[in-house]
Amino acid sequence: MNIASYTILGIPNFVLLTIAIIAALVFFVNRVRHLYIVLRIGKEDDRFKEPGERIKAVLKRILLQICVLKDVTRNDLAGIGHATIFYGFLCFAFSYIFMFARGFIPGLSFHLLGGAFAHYFPLILDIAGLLVMTAVIWGLTRRYIVKPPRLELSLEAVLILGWIFSLMLFHFIMEGFEINTDPHEMPTLAFMGAAFAGFFANIETTTQEALFVASWWIHVLLVLGFMVLIPYSKHLHLLLAPFNIYFKSREPKGALVPILDMEEAETFGVCNIEEYTWKQLLDLYCCAHCGRCDINCPAYLSEKPLSPKDLLNDLKVHLLEKASFLLENKNGGDEETKEYEGPSLIGDVISEDKIWACVTCGSCIEQCPVCNEHVQKIIDMRRYLVLMESKFPSEVQVVFKNMENNSNPWGIGWATRADWAKDLGVKIMSDDSDVDILYWVGCAGSFDERNKKISTSLVNIFNKAGVNFGILGAEEKCCGDSARRIGNEYLFQMLAMETIEILKNYNVKKIVTQCPHCFNTLKNEYPQFGGDFEVVHTTEFIMDLIEKGKLKLTKPIDKTVAYHDSCYLGRYNAIYDAPRKILEGIPGINIVEMDRNRNKSMCCGAGGGRMWMEEHLGKRINEMRLQDALDANPNMVCTACPYCLTMFEDAIKEKGVEESLAGKDIVELVEEATA
Amino acid sequence: MGNSVLVFAEVKDGRVKKVALEMLSEGKKMAEKLGGDLSAVLMGSGIESLAEQLGQYGADKVYVADNEVLKDYTCDAYAKVMADLIKANEPAIVLYGATILGKDLSPRVAARVETGLASDCTDIGLDDDGKFTATRPMFAGKAYVDLSFTDSKPNMASVRPNALPVSPPDESKKAEVVKVDVNISPDDIRTTVKEVMKTAGEKPDLTEAEVIVSGGRGMKGPENFKLIEDLADVLGATVGASRAAVDAGWRTVDDQVGQTGKVVSPNLYIACGISGAIQHLAGMSTSKYIVAVNKDSEAPIFQKADYGIVDDLLKVVPVLTEEIKKLKAEG
Amino acid sequence: MNVVVCVKQVPDTESVIKVKPDGSDIITDDLKYVMNPYDEYGVEEALQIKEKFGGSVTILCMGPSRVVETIRTGLAMGADKAIHLDDPALEGGDAFATAKALAEALKGIEYDLVLCGKQAVDDDLSQTGQTLAELLGFPHASLIQKLEIADDNKSATVHCQVEGGLAVLDVSLPAVLTTQKGLNEPRYASLPGIMKAKKKPLDTKDLAALGLSADSVGCAGSKTIITKMTPPPERAAGKVIEGEGPQETVPKLVQLLREEAKVI
Repeated sequence: MNIASYTILGIPNFVLLTIAIIAALVFFVNRVRHLYIVLRIGKEDDRFKEPGERIKAVLKRILLQICVLKDVTRNDLAGIGHATIFYGFLCFAFSYIFMFARGFIPGLSFHLLGGAFAHYFPLILDIAGLLVMTAVIWGLTRRYIVKPPRLELSLEAVLILGWIFSLMLFHFIMEGFEINTDPHEMPTLAFMGAAFAGFFANIETTTQEALFVASWWIHVLLVLGFMVLIPYSKHLHLLLAPFNIYFKSREPKGALVPILDMEEAETFGVCNIEEYTWKQLLDLYCCAHCGRCDINCPAYLSEKPLSPKDLLNDLKVHLLEKASFLLENKNGGDEETKEYEGPSLIGDVISEDKIWACVTCGSCIEQCPVCNEHVQKIIDMRRYLVLMESKFPSEVQVVFKNMENNSNPWGIGWATRADWAKDLGVKIMSDDSDVDILYWVGCAGSFDERNKKISTSLVNIFNKAGVNFGILGAEEKCCGDSARRIGNEYLFQMLAMETIEILKNYNVKKIVTQCPHCFNTLKNEYPQFGGDFEVVHTTEFIMDLIEKGKLKLTKPIDKTVAYHDSCYLGRYNAIYDAPRKILEGIPGINIVEMDRNRNKSMCCGAGGGRMWMEEHLGKRINEMRLQDALDANPNMVCTACPYCLTMFEDAIKEKGVEESLAGKDIVELVEEATA
Repeated sequence: MGNSVLVFAEVKDGRVKKVALEMLSEGKKMAEKLGGDLSAVLMGSGIESLAEQLGQYGADKVYVADNEVLKDYTCDAYAKVMADLIKANEPAIVLYGATILGKDLSPRVAARVETGLASDCTDIGLDDDGKFTATRPMFAGKAYVDLSFTDSKPNMASVRPNALPVSPPDESKKAEVVKVDVNISPDDIRTTVKEVMKTAGEKPDLTEAEVIVSGGRGMKGPENFKLIEDLADVLGATVGASRAAVDAGWRTVDDQVGQTGKVVSPNLYIACGISGAIQHLAGMSTSKYIVAVNKDSEAPIFQKADYGIVDDLLKVVPVLTEEIKKLKAEG
Repeated sequence: MNVVVCVKQVPDTESVIKVKPDGSDIITDDLKYVMNPYDEYGVEEALQIKEKFGGSVTILCMGPSRVVETIRTGLAMGADKAIHLDDPALEGGDAFATAKALAEALKGIEYDLVLCGKQAVDDDLSQTGQTLAELLGFPHASLIQKLEIADDNKSATVHCQVEGGLAVLDVSLPAVLTTQKGLNEPRYASLPGIMKAKKKPLDTKDLAALGLSADSVGCAGSKTIITKMTPPPERAAGKVIEGEGPQETVPKLVQLLREEAKVI
């Protein structure tokens, strides 16, 4: 069948096709161009370095579909469906080249690429089509009948899934008619096509010819329509996810972006959508509303107003709404800058409650298939509120002041910081700085009665293993993690720079920290200010001591232990194995895993400065996490973070399960096992 | 310059405040040492009858400034009466109770007669040379200083209530009552009292309370806070709560003491069933005295407490309430 | 309304206070200095008055060069300008000598109201505000909990803490008011505020500029003299009261509270 020369109402088909393609392209290009211009409103951000690594990431995440396959679980197989549709579409995308080309070039067929290709490719297409249709039906069933919590019942999803289904269907219909009208051209391996051909067999040949052209046209229009649909819908991710993954941050996961020109800048943080970087705006385009962020977000799960998915979507809607105003003002020159009268970013679009609900656990980022970076956006808004407006939950002010005046969040006299170590014979750097290791105690380890016990245990372990270590004593200050994550970049940088200066003065090389927040800040954020030290977490350090035979875990501890991954140790720094290996090495311990573990571990509720804020809204995150632990049926929860331990022990008391469940830090267990 | 001692006898609700009796007792000793007499000043409206009591407690002379214009305390009026008396009688020493009123009035009088004032003293006395000395805390009691005075007279001090003992009264003793002419027109008073709102029954806000009784998780339920309230009532204390008690919904968030609640520094903090998590300690560790009642002898609160009882608070608190009631009944 | 806030720099309340062996003073090496907390309420109140009535807020602060940091804190919160009295001769004064210098510094400036913290948390005197008012010839009200300026800016209604309640006073202006907790919630300086504070006018005056003689201020001009400083009597670390049950322990506790702690 020669489609190219077929005429409709006397107009040759290729002319009509040209018009259709141009029309579709006009819509498509126009929209994409608009999106691009809007994107360029955003601030500069250098995301171009290390192109090789970037390409690798794209190939891995997209071609191998790691983006969705990485978190396929027994309960959520959607990733497989996505991969099926993706690979199916790749096949079809290739076939569409032929389909369109046939509209211009008479006699074009798969034979162009050789007989074997022409023989087998239709089979592949049919299998792919069938699989895609199955995946679509499964997807619709899931979305509208099973209703998993992460998905919304949007019409857009039905439209898209229906569209994909139709594309496949019309491939088969078209194939059927073609077999019947052009039997010599078509090999028989296209079993679906053959089946449809059989179904149409009794229709007159000329009618079939017309129906073939009609189905070809419908198919072509469906493809063109789909192309147009992409940039107008959440399926924009088809187009942009590769870019988003390419431009993904290459900085350490745990490092927030610094404000570098504190003394000069006039505004800080973000209170207008256009103050985000172009990459942050690109994130908004790429969100496919899959909801993987939501169902792993402690704030969302505990019924706080924050949903990371809605956050991005609301920002996107606001961006596109405000864009025309911004573009107009940008082009209109600077005669008169008009005030935008639409909704304000903070308050109207994103409520302050949402901004403060985030625990910065990083799970949204970790789970996002298209590598969106949610947390920095929230921190940017916090920075605006804190630095520009001094607006934050009232209980935070005293924390800032305490950090300023006494270098710890509780405001306990800074001179008493090393009192816990008074009778332990620990070297203080100012007395003797000839040490191999600087033990960074942290505020909790220095001041909190419960965590002081852990610091003491650690000192005992160091002594047992013959580690030559010292502490900064009263010279140690809060690392600034909470200040930074609450948005007080100024306070954070002050604390960081003072500490870096002190560490450099003592020529410190290697630092061991017990608190994952200190660990992350010292390791990943201090380099932003010239503080390059080797920073090791106690779990890694202890593991190393064990491997070197300096520490022997001999005394059995007969407990069933659930290990809780701290966000700042796990997700942000990928330390999952060291603590588990240590526990496995303790005789008698039986390790059980909570359902949410490792990179899907749920925050204790204290991250992102939430440690210092009241939890007025929704459910208690620490109690939810305790429930996770209780479900795993251990008699001990083991943590490696002072915040996590505090939150767990609070929840244990709150739920009155002290009798059946104990909270311990891994350091305490190690000390016990080496006794 | 004379060698007498003058005591400002503060009157509250028609009664001489106990601190005035403490000043008279101490003033008597000093006057004897100096060889001068002890006089007291009474100010107010319809207060003349109180002079008798002052005599029994050692005053040789009582200046009575009884006038409608002195009914409510205003510094303008009271300072004028005091300063005039001092100028006329030239006492060697003037003593006040370091009450809110005494601490408001005394600096103004001292400035007017251009002399020194030792405020909020915990001890006063005469040294071997008969010179007046005072001891007072600084840095919230983290240091104490001994003060001496320059030659300007009189030497003035305000002394904390309960810091000095009251000598037993001599009921046979009568003071000479000297009526003071009060030449103050209402126009001289630049701070007019429109109203005094009594917070009788109503407790001071936590942040301002002198005494706080707090309950925590160990209270076991909201109903047991009645015990805490009873104790607070007899102590004139404000009720506080730990975060755990607030989270449990037993108390409102207004009552929360701690890092994320209210930061308090009363003279006495009684923590009942509070383990003493750091976030709670951060809100109350500057309290002058801390009492802890907790079943768990390992609770961190005992590290901070001046006095602790390791026992069930539900048993301890009612007894404590009764004991304090007894004490208050004794006067 | 032009408001002057007298501000003092004091060691942070959590500071470990150590008395010098010779009892002359405390050891100041390791102290972290902050704005006197009660003065912060004064600054905040002044700023709220300015926001309502316009005018200016001036910080008046006395002390060595280190106090500039505290002055900047006040400016960062939003005060417009500051006067810094800096002269070695001003050091070590009692409330009378200090108020004298402050009163002198206020000559020649226009203001309607002076705010002082109810006391400084270092010497805990609780005198300077009242003394200053006397020297200036103004009325004063202390321990204010609420302040409302009349529309004509000639008087104010204040709620003052008195024993067992609050007194509502009408005060004619200018006046000196002493501020304390409960009056407001002092703001946290914004970053632009901190940056701007560095450029705000700061007028430093020494004794000569004040026109005072060295013997009338500071230690020399004081009416009271510190003869000796001592650390407080050692408080026994946490006494757990021994005894069989509340019937035994509670009376012991009450006795300690009454006789040792003297708090009931």
